Order: sequence, then C-alpha cells, then structure tokens
Amino acid sequence: MRIDKPAQLTKLRKELVAVEKKHTKKIMICCGPGCLANGAAKIVEEFRKVLKKKHIRGFKIEALKETGCHGFCERGPLVIIEPRGTFYTKVKPKDVEEIINESIRKDETVERLLYDDPSNGHKIERYNDIPFYSHQQRIALRNLGHIDQYKIEDYIVADGYNALVKALTKMKPDEIIAEVTTSGLRGRGGAGFSTGRKWATCAKAEDTPHYVICNGDEGDPGAFMDRSIMEGDPHSVLEGMIIAAYAVGAHEGYIYVREEYPLAIENLKLAIHQATEYGFLGENILGSGFSLTLNVSRGGGAFVCGESSALMKSVAGEVGEPRAKYVRSVLKGFHDKPTVLNNVETYANIPVIIDKGGEWFAGIGTPGSSGTKAFSLVGKVRNTGLIEVPMGTKLREIIYDIGGGILDNRPFKAVQTGGPSGGCLPEEKLDLPVDFDTLTEAYSMMGSGGMIVMDDHTCVVDLAKYFLAFLVEESCGKCVPCREGLFQLHAMVKKISEGQGIEEDIEKMEKLSDVIIKSSLCGLGKSGPNPFLSTVRYFRDEYLAHIRDKKCPAKVCRELIRFDIIADKCDGCTACLSACAFDAITGKKNEVHVIDQDKCTKCGACEAVCTRNAIEVS
Amino acid sequence: MNHDIGKLPEILERYPQEPQSLIAVLQDIQKEYNFLPCDALKHTADYLDVPLSKVFSVSTFYNAFSLNPKGDRVIRVCMGTTCHIRGAAQILEQLEKKLNIRAGETTPDLKYTLEVVNCVGACAMAPVVIVNDKYYGSVKVSGTKKLLKGG
Amino acid sequence: MVHLTINGQVVQANDGEMLLDVIKRMGIDIPAICQHDAVEPFGSCRLCTVEITKADWDGWKNYVTSCLYPVADGLIVNTHSETVNEIRKTLLDLYLARHPNSLFVRKLAAEHGVTKTSYEEIPDGDDCILCGLCTRICERMGFSAISTVGRGHSKEVAPPLKEAPPDCVGCLACAQCCPTGHIKFSEEGASRSIWGKQFEKIACSKCGKLTITKEFADSLSETRNIPREYFDVCDDCRRKEIALTMGRLAQWSREEETV
Repeated sequence: MRIDKPAQLTKLRKELVAVEKKHTKKIMICCGPGCLANGAAKIVEEFRKVLKKKHIRGFKIEALKETGCHGFCERGPLVIIEPRGTFYTKVKPKDVEEIINESIRKDETVERLLYDDPSNGHKIERYNDIPFYSHQQRIALRNLGHIDQYKIEDYIVADGYNALVKALTKMKPDEIIAEVTTSGLRGRGGAGFSTGRKWATCAKAEDTPHYVICNGDEGDPGAFMDRSIMEGDPHSVLEGMIIAAYAVGAHEGYIYVREEYPLAIENLKLAIHQATEYGFLGENILGSGFSLTLNVSRGGGAFVCGESSALMKSVAGEVGEPRAKYVRSVLKGFHDKPTVLNNVETYANIPVIIDKGGEWFAGIGTPGSSGTKAFSLVGKVRNTGLIEVPMGTKLREIIYDIGGGILDNRPFKAVQTGGPSGGCLPEEKLDLPVDFDTLTEAYSMMGSGGMIVMDDHTCVVDLAKYFLAFLVEESCGKCVPCREGLFQLHAMVKKISEGQGIEEDIEKMEKLSDVIIKSSLCGLGKSGPNPFLSTVRYFRDEYLAHIRDKKCPAKVCRELIRFDIIADKCDGCTACLSACAFDAITGKKNEVHVIDQDKCTKCGACEAVCTRNAIEVS
Repeated sequence: MNHDIGKLPEILERYPQEPQSLIAVLQDIQKEYNFLPCDALKHTADYLDVPLSKVFSVSTFYNAFSLNPKGDRVIRVCMGTTCHIRGAAQILEQLEKKLNIRAGETTPDLKYTLEVVNCVGACAMAPVVIVNDKYYGSVKVSGTKKLLKGG
Repeated sequence: MVHLTINGQVVQANDGEMLLDVIKRMGIDIPAICQHDAVEPFGSCRLCTVEITKADWDGWKNYVTSCLYPVADGLIVNTHSETVNEIRKTLLDLYLARHPNSLFVRKLAAEHGVTKTSYEEIPDGDDCILCGLCTRICERMGFSAISTVGRGHSKEVAPPLKEAPPDCVGCLACAQCCPTGHIKFSEEGASRSIWGKQFEKIACSKCGKLTITKEFADSLSETRNIPREYFDVCDDCRRKEIALTMGRLAQWSREEETV
C-alpha cells in the first residue's frame, strides 16, 4: 500500500497500533548477532511449532516477534515477554513449552530462566530493573529488541517515518541542516566530524549530482553495533538517509555493507523493498516531489574500505585504494561528485533528532559530544553485550555497573577503545568520561564503539603485535609509510614478544611511528602505530620486562613461557593428552603425565581442559 | 583452468552492464562456483566492458574472492580482537594440525578449506567459528573435533 | 592568482596548481618518484612531502604530499625542514630494507644520507617499488594491460592471471617510465618480448627500418581513426615523402606562373 499523503500514514499508524494493542502478550525473541550464533533460530522454530500445535486463546502468531539485538548478549539466547518485561535468559529449545505455559497461558514466570543478581543471588524478573539496562539510554538502539526486524509495520507503530513526514512536508532542506547542526551530532563512525557541517558543505556544493552513502563497513574487530542496527532496525537507517538526501539534494544513495555481514545485507534489501512499496523511497516521496533510490552495495572484504575514499571506490567496483583527502569527499567523493558519507549509527540518530528537535539531543551528553553512543562491550567483562549510554558516562560505570566488573574477579588491566586505530586505557583512566575529545586527549579514540576489556591475562605486547599484524594484512599497499613502515613496526614488536628485542628498539619504534603518522596517505596508516604507542605509553614496564628480563608478565607470549604438569596434582585422567594436537603429552592412564618441551607449542589447550589444576604456566 | 561456467550468463544478466557492477558480479560467481574460474573472469570483463587486468586486480584485492576452488566445508575462524583474547589462535592451531593445512589452504581431497576472517560481529559469543555459514559460538580449544564433524 | 611562501620566498601561483609544480618551477629539488607529467599525481611514494602551516594556525604544522596539495593563499611551505628531512630519510630507509639490490633506490637513499637500512632487510627484494607509474601510464595509453595484483605488502604489478596480457600491444611505455628498470623486455631482430608476450615489429616498406609493433599500429589505427597503411612507412621516410611532395607542389606553382 502506497502512502502519498501524511494523513494516510497517520491513519495507517492508528490502525496498526490498534492491531498491536489487541496482542495482550507478545513474545520477543532476540535474533541479534550473539543470540543467533547461540541458536536463536532453533528457538524461533520451536516457538512456532508449539504455538501451532497448541492454540492459545487470545494469542495470535503475529505476537511472536523476531527482534534485533536486545543487548545482553552474555545471557543469550534471550526471550522477553511484553508488556510485562519478563526477561528470560539462556533459553534452550526445550524450555519453550514451559515458557508458553507459564508466561502466555498463565501470568506466571519460569523462575530458573530469570536473571539472577550476582551480588545476592536474587532473581530479577524485568529487564528494566537489571543494572545492565537501567544505566543505559537507548536512542540509536531504541527499537532493537522491541520490534520485529522483518516488519515495516512494527517500525511504523514505533513512530517510524514520522520524522520523514515532518522533514519533507514541514521543513526546508536548510532548516533540516540547521536542526542537525543544533543537535551537535558528530559522526559515530569514529572521526567525530560535525554531521550538520558535513551536510551543509555538500548542500552548497555546485557540482552535481549529489550522493548519500552509508558506511556499513564496521571493520573494527570487536564492534557489532552497526551490524545490530542494520539487521535489527534497518528502517531507522533508511529514514535517516532519506532525510539526509533531501537536505543535501541527492537522488541516489548507497548503503555499503561489508561482505562478512550477509544477514545485514538481506535485511536492508528487504527494508528497501518494503519502504519502496510504501512510497517512502522512489519517485515523488509522500507527494513532496522529492525522489530517491537507495541500493545496497556489498563490500568485497577489506578493512581499508571503511575509509571513505576507499569505500567510494569499492562502491564504484574498483579496488579500495584511498586517495589523499586534501580535497574532501564531501566536495569530490563518489565519481568525484559531492557526497555525504555517514556511519550507520549516525543515520539512525537522525529521525529522533528531527522528531524531538536538535536542542533536545544537544541536552544529552557533554557540550562537546552531544547525545549517546552505542558500544559493544566485550572481552573479559561479566556482562558482554550491546549498550548505549549518554556521552560523558565514566568508563568505570560502563565496565563495572553495566559490565558487571571483570570475569572471575580478576584484576582489570586495560580497556581498548577505537579498534586498531585506537588505544588502551589503563586503570588510572577509569574515571574518564567517555566522549570524543577526552578519549583522544588520553591517546586513545572513540572509534566506532568497540570496547574491549582486558584482565591481567592479557599481554599488551601481544596485543600490539596482534593489531599491527591485522593492519599489515589489511593495508592496501599503496603508500610506503603504511606498507613498509607498519610491516617493520610489526616485525620489531614481534621480536620483543619473542624475547629478542633490545632497549633501543623502543625509541626506534617511537620515531618510526612518528614518521608513519605524519606521512601516511590515509587514516589506516596514520593511526596504525596507535596500538604500539598507547601500550608503550601506559605499560612501558611490560615492554621492558620482555626486553630486559625476557619474561612475559601476563604469561601469554609463547617463546617466553613454558607449560609443565605438576606431578602431585596430576592423576592421569588423560584429558590433556587428548586435547594436545601436537602429541607433546605422554603418560598412561592413572599415571602422571609429562609435557615434552620440544614438541610443546604453548597453545594452552591442555591447561584449558585440565580440571585438576595440574598444569602450571611459568 | 577449464571449469563449466554454464550458469554465468544468468549471473551476469542480473546486473547492469557497467563497471560499477563488478564486485557484485564477482561475489555471485564466487558463491555459485566456490571460487572464480578464469573463463568467468574473461567473460565478466567483456560483459562489463572493464579491462581484464582490472577484473584480476579486484579479484585479488578483496578477501571474499578465491582463485582456487574451495572445499566442501569452509571453516572460518574469527580472529577479531575479542576472539583473539579468548583463544582464537589456539583454536586455529588445533584445526591446522588436525587438517594438516595452514590457514588459507584447502585439503587435497577438497573436503575442507580453512580460513581466518577478521571479525564477524558476534563478539559477545567469542571465540566464533563459522562452518559453511553456520555460526558456532563460545568454541572451546578442545571442541575443534566437533567443528569438523558437524556444520 | 594566489600568493604563498616557499622556503621563505614569496611566490605567485595559479589557482588549481599543486605545490610541487611551483616548487619545481623555483628550481628546488625534492624527490617525487611516483610522479610523471603524463599521468595524474598518485601520492604513493610520499617523498615529496613538505611541511605547511599558515599564520592563523597557531604554530600547528601539517605534512602533505606536494604533488597532490593545491596551492592556497597565505600558505607557508618548507620543503626541507628538520621534520621533513627526517621523514624522507626514514622513508628511504624503509625503501632500502625492501629493495636492497636496486641501484636506483641505493643511489637515492645515499643522496639523503642512508647507505644501509636500519630495519629488517628483505635479502631477495626485487626492484619494483610499487610507484604505480607503469599501470597508470598503460591505462593512459588506453590499454590497461597490466595492473596491481593483491594487496598490502605482497602487492605486485603483473599481467592478468599472470599470463601473457591480452591487451598489451608492446608499446614499451611501461618499461620506459619505470624508475628502477624493473620492467624488462628483450628485442631480437624484428621480435620484441615483454610481460611474457611476443610481438613483431613493422618494417618500413621504403627503407626496412623497424618501427612499432603490429599490435600497437593496429590499435592506434582503430582508436585514432588513422588508416592502417600510415604505419607501414617510418617517420623518416614519411618526412622525405612530404618534402618531395612539397617540392613538386612548389615547382608546379612556379610552372603555372610562367605559363
């Protein structure tokens, strides 16, 4: 059904809301990336099967919703019963029937599946009461977990496309840009450039045509915010892009999605198809005279294509080699024409800003960084998942109040923000309020929002080596400082991790880093040395331990550790023997086992399976 | 390198005949044949009016493409940061040893291909291994045998 | 017209010019090995990096490649500041690590004070410095016979599928512009061989001198709308032909006048 006039949308929304109200109970099954990896699809299947078999009075199958990431990935697979807010955790297919009996047929709960508060063991039924959720403010992630990700109708019920109507029928392009500028929204992809200013520059550019592109490349390892939004609430991205296109005078747009996200590609294509059918995309949108086509462009698999000029080359079907950005892509971008490129999360914020006003948005967060930010909180933290907090929230609150502190109560070592371009922040920085400028001043950066928590079992030299290896692999190879410089930087860090480094190496690497930063062609190279620089800044002693003492304090660097079986703890259960892929363990059943140091590769498989605590790492 | 590319015309016709379609076309070819046959590259160059050298350049630049046939089971170990600190390197090592190939290679009997992938966005379930589009989360170092059987 | 300062000297430049154009015009010598007048600037070698600042930048400096940075009013440029020299030296040090056997790299590095690399040397490193001149010029010539293959440190220049390139016409533009001499070709009599492909050169129908390859002639004829027979005569013979024709014309007009 095509919406040609705003009044039609209002009417449709009323009808849809009425239909939704008839569902006295709704089953929301989280189908976010984490829960999917943990078997959410089977749970959906089981629900459908059981509901079909047992007709529940008053319950329609449409009240079963496959939603986007609800957020608390650690506890998944998640099933939430609305409107009560009952939060079921670690659900298995065999639990489905009981959930239906207790929560749907009756008004009870399945106690054992509820979240238990780790401090006192008490059960908390409603997710809003759980600290993980109560500390958050979800704006970009507003619909994730609350609407069916495949139904545009659910998006409309949630006030979707209201902002588009307002923008197209009640506002002029420069008024929209003014509103976005007032909001203070800064690019959520990592660079933090003023969105309003970017749009203004493009709108004024004389060369035509103009383009709008969405950066859905999310290459930072550890980040899955954009993936969750693209899969769980694709229409929020579309609505943001349509408003942007109208503001800057673009009639063609692309959503560039990395190759590793096939579901995001599918969901976006479906959403575009639905939006086109409804008339929110295509010719003469809502009778305004404005037309726009959007296409999904699949990446080929290259981290460098997250860089704007490389991304645009990839959309054009070429190799993703960046160009020097002395002339910004907002003036000479896609096909050398004025282009607005914004991140997924940036676009997802736009409808809310238009709806509630720029000033409302500017009132959240900090003066320099308004609004909220989505983070993927992962690593050695108890509560891993997808969160969103106002800018200015302290790192400590995120890691301890929301994250629940460090796994196994181990000591906190560092938190890595900003992906391979970012840096590590140590314990003394835990009271830092999170926003663009404070993180940059502390020698890290906001980046796209990946937040990886590390404990004392993480070696920073190993981490720097890992990130540099990643960047060397992903470098496009066009310019010398990145291609050769990062290669040599990695070689030197590797030597240190193997106990072969000398003290002069550190200064040499710092000097090389400076040259790489100053002379690289694009952001990948320019920020490439950051993993080394930030770790050596805050953890210089750890580097020196590897160099002077040939020791790895975190017991991670393979060449500097050894695995031994403690004879009086080993009972010969053979678990380690079976786990060893290198035949380095010998021993008969019920007899003490021995590790052959010549064959042992220090992979750690034996320690992982030993239940007798008989394996010592030194 | 003669491979039956009967389905190629159908794949090409899905897209507009312009250079911009190159990556999408190559991805469909990769999905259909599990690699990019030489003849397919030549026909693609003709169809899209792109020099063969450019087609080859794009085929070798991006991670998604392979010029050699892949195995029946493609095992992709995520080496993202979260997976790395939760033991992805050990899992990869176990698989390399069990299959007797290195990452990026295919077993001689074409049954398994082992690859590394840079973060698939399921970080909360690290470490993650994907076998033929099926995701396995929280993989244990001792659980690699299961990955080879299932999927 | 813009006014900017380069190495303390105020100069004029045209809008749209790049810093490197002005620097060269002033006779200042800075290396720019991936730059060539026949193709657009690329920015891969980074050796033409200069230090820039402006009066209202509060002492903040930026480092940009002069081949790609447009001139701007009030720009203050330093082509040999301490930092820039350090950058060039380090870059050449890195080049030397990768190409220890290249005479070109060794000479250029020595000119900047680097005689031995301080990094891990790749002992069998070849001479291709990945400047991209060959591929860009080949594209400019209209053939796009070769391209860069792969990505990152293992990137190389090669013909498609690493076989004899179907689009190559043996014009040798790539070999001629290669700064290090990495691109090899061989000629014997009328045969020419490059990138694993064999060519036959045309012999002038008048004097027998060998000129360009058949494939090159065919391509020029097709794309520039020149009759193919044009290429069967070498330039010298053609000049002689034209001179003879002009002579005859002059004679006829003299004869006509006297009649």
